[in-house]
Amino acid sequence: MVEEAAQEVFMKAYTQLGSYEGRGSLEGWLTKIATNTCLNMVRGAKRRPEQIVSELTENENEWLDEKLAIAANEDHRSAERDLIAADLADRVLGVLSPEDRLALTMIDGDDATIKEVAEMTGWSESKVKVRAFRARRRVREAMEKLIGGKKEQELHLKSAGEL
Amino acid sequence: MNNSHIIDILDNAPLSELTETQLASMRTHIETCSSCARSYESAVLTSHVMHARVAVEIEPSPFFATTVLARIREQQPENTPVMLRLWRSASYLVSSLAITTAALAVLSFVVPGPAIGSSEPATTAYSAESVILGDEEDLSYEQVLSTIYAEEEESK
Repeated sequence: MVEEAAQEVFMKAYTQLGSYEGRGSLEGWLTKIATNTCLNMVRGAKRRPEQIVSELTENENEWLDEKLAIAANEDHRSAERDLIAADLADRVLGVLSPEDRLALTMIDGDDATIKEVAEMTGWSESKVKVRAFRARRRVREAMEKLIGGKKEQELHLKSAGEL
Repeated sequence: MNNSHIIDILDNAPLSELTETQLASMRTHIETCSSCARSYESAVLTSHVMHARVAVEIEPSPFFATTVLARIREQQPENTPVMLRLWRSASYLVSSLAITTAALAVLSFVVPGPAIGSSEPATTAYSAESVILGDEEDLSYEQVLSTIYAEEEESK
């Protein structure tokens, strides 16, 4: 899907180059195209909410264990670990609408400012702020549910082992 | 600090944007509040997965450029104006029609056809005998002469 989106962005940039009036930066113009293209693709993609926070894969379980163990304070990363975390992020982001998802990914993931997101999407700054707030809350709750479920499962396994 | 307060702080801004004072007071609070501790833990993990998600770099396939160029080439005819596309598809038909019309015009106006009335009108219309005997009263002098000489030449 990522490659498909990248192709689409290139296509649009090529075919709509004539409409670029040179008022803003070319980078900004391209970012806007990329943002709208990705948003449309996410809107078009089928959502499978039942898969979102139901069960963790083995890798995701390990990742969570590790993160919980190290109190999530250090910035110890590896490409493989990032991939697992990215999968987990996709799961929790699945609870969001495409617009909220975009706002949260840009602000919390990409460290973009509210103003930058507003420029890229064409939304007002207050709208971006509301979307990010709502998204952050929902994702945090989904994560809480995941951790809660995991801890419950561990407790269950532990008590079964004791028996 | 109550539970609602810490949650509002957590949801209001990315964790990386919180001040040290805010973080310190939150840490103090979660030591005594398990519900807030869970929220904080989740917020920290969420922040980690979000950053990890953005950090993941996806390498394009080796055929990426080829695919994009092929798609651009495919789309090019679609971007040309409608009239141009119509002309391209109908040009053969229009050209062949134009050629046929021109050929017909040449045949009709330029190439001389069998001249009407040029082949012996006098001989067929009148005989030398009737002219001499004066049966044809409406004939001019030139017509009488041409009729008589034409018959004489034929008889030679």
